[in-house]
Amino acid sequence: MTFEMPKFLRGFRAILYKEFIVMFRDRTTLFFMFFPPLLQIIAFGFALDNDVKHMAMAVYNEDRTTESRQLVDAFVNTQTFRVVKEVNSLDELETMVRRGKAYVGLDIPPDYTRKLHAGQKADVEVLIDGSSSTTALQALNTALGVAFQRSVNILLGETNRRELPVEIRPQVLYNPSMRAPNFFVPGVIGTALQIATVFAAAMSIVRERERGTLENLLVSPMTRWGLMLGKLVPYLCVCMVMALFLFTILRWVFLVPIHGSLIMLVVAAFLYIFALLSLGLVISTKAQSQNEALQMSMTIMLPSIFFSGFIFPRETMPWIFYALSMILPATYFIELMRAIILRGAGFFEFWRHLLILAVMGGVLFSLCALRFKRKLA
Amino acid sequence: MPAETMIECDNLTKKFGDFTAVDHVTFSVKKQDIFGFLGPNGSGKSTVIRMLCGILEPSEGTASIAGQDVVHETDAIKGSIGYMSQRFSLYDELTANENLQFYARLYGLRGQAMKQRRDELITLTHLEPYVDRRAGLLSGGWKQRLAMACALVHKPSVLFLDEPTAGIDPVARRELWDLLFELSSAGMTLFVTTHYMDEAERCTHVGYIHMSKLIVCGAPDDLKQLPVVNPPGTKRLDVTCDHVTVALRAVRKLKGIRAATVFGQSMHLLLDEAVPEQSIRDTLSEVGIHEVDIRPIAASLEDVFVILTRQHAGGQS
Repeated sequence: MTFEMPKFLRGFRAILYKEFIVMFRDRTTLFFMFFPPLLQIIAFGFALDNDVKHMAMAVYNEDRTTESRQLVDAFVNTQTFRVVKEVNSLDELETMVRRGKAYVGLDIPPDYTRKLHAGQKADVEVLIDGSSSTTALQALNTALGVAFQRSVNILLGETNRRELPVEIRPQVLYNPSMRAPNFFVPGVIGTALQIATVFAAAMSIVRERERGTLENLLVSPMTRWGLMLGKLVPYLCVCMVMALFLFTILRWVFLVPIHGSLIMLVVAAFLYIFALLSLGLVISTKAQSQNEALQMSMTIMLPSIFFSGFIFPRETMPWIFYALSMILPATYFIELMRAIILRGAGFFEFWRHLLILAVMGGVLFSLCALRFKRKLA
Repeated sequence: MPAETMIECDNLTKKFGDFTAVDHVTFSVKKQDIFGFLGPNGSGKSTVIRMLCGILEPSEGTASIAGQDVVHETDAIKGSIGYMSQRFSLYDELTANENLQFYARLYGLRGQAMKQRRDELITLTHLEPYVDRRAGLLSGGWKQRLAMACALVHKPSVLFLDEPTAGIDPVARRELWDLLFELSSAGMTLFVTTHYMDEAERCTHVGYIHMSKLIVCGAPDDLKQLPVVNPPGTKRLDVTCDHVTVALRAVRKLKGIRAATVFGQSMHLLLDEAVPEQSIRDTLSEVGIHEVDIRPIAASLEDVFVILTRQHAGGQS
């Protein structure tokens, strides 16, 4: 090799080699880089299915006729509910819901069939546990749907019409089956990469400080740019491998189709990881101990789990959180992931996001190098 | 031809907030000197080294290495100084060989030059059997040799060693000193901090720092001749006898005894010249000690430091 390092990168090659060796020898760090993201993608991919099925339902059927039993069956047939118990009083029904034994309580009054036959309005009471908003909303919609369906069928029979006057044919683009993994897993990759990268980078310089090796680095002619780049590149390589690994899981374990360009996916991951590692290095220049680095990383990462649009849509956030989301790299990366993977968006539609990530990375990296003092405090 | 001055401090001072860690320290070290820097823990030894290495900014005063200012010409001095810090600064996950290569690369060596320098240092420090062992698994003595080799990769003209022998077995200690003499005779200037008086005796020059102030500085033999150490009209005696603690108590009551300290099986006395040896023998036989061996001795470096520390503390209160 005859390539000469530019002067401002003095020490880069030494740090680079050393970091690579240390990384592969220090299995604990490597494990803690790979394990949490893996756990996260699996947990979110399998468990975070917000399409709730077979909710526990208690039934108080005061009518006990064929018609009332058909109504209960109609509820069960939606697959949203399953009957856990038939109770004998309204009190018992309420108790079931309050104790959490049932999400939903169905009360069919004694005059249900009589009113139905008499052409009167038959009231059916549905108690819903509102303490969990997603399930409550789904229970409510399904219950209303059941009632609506029954009403429409009765009306159709009375008017001798076979079809509904208006029918809406919804077409959900990009995630037609509304599968939860399709929505969550691309976002999970964003948060999973974040944990591994920020922690690892935040520890790197603090560890040298704690061990006392930093002093010798400072005495040497190494430059801060050389140090930072030497620290960053090995992690960048490992994290890119991890990103590809996560994309593989997304495609082949969770069967999420990737509609967009793989190259763009990789470029997005590269810019994102670069920005996050730089952020970690900024923390590392500030923290005096590994503990402090850990706490600072947590403080910075928590908002991005809530405000990046990973779980809650950004559009409905109060302006302050929306503004906060604008400065989080995760926000742009998650939007990019959903756009590329689900919608097959191309470079020209999303170059702004890539540019923003690149600028964030550049600024953060400069910041960590400039913040780093070649003197002890 | 007078030797070149390699290290120069002029009123070097470091304050951390209200605390003055190093208080107007002035001294100089010539080429090929082995300068021993002594003082209790927390007296400011490491702080001085860090300032001389350009990694800590002095609050006041100036310092230079081979004529180059440590603050304004930091980059220029980096090539001429080697630094072995108190904690050895090795990477435990790397082997001895990899640690050496790391430091060699850090100083810009590469390819054949790097390998050649590495082999030279391995030979110099006799590290051959351990080149492929992880630094974390080396014993204290071998860690110290490796750290030493790492500090020497770029052939510095001044080498700073911060307590290089703390916690090291006596054999390793002696071998390190042999190596230091070897380096010094090859033209290197050495700056060593230590707690051991026997190490101080081996230095060509010593400085003693107490409560952030440099109390004394000079060649060991010159320091032992200082009038304050040997007040006019006094002499030093070594008294060897049985039951030395009993003897010490008895002797201390004797008129004209200025100081008495136990050294193993004997005691060192500083006493008025007028006190005859016979009165010591008489005093000791009164407490039942009859076999007594008395001979004159010179002051040791420890005596020097004890006396000067007491004087300094007295002057402060």
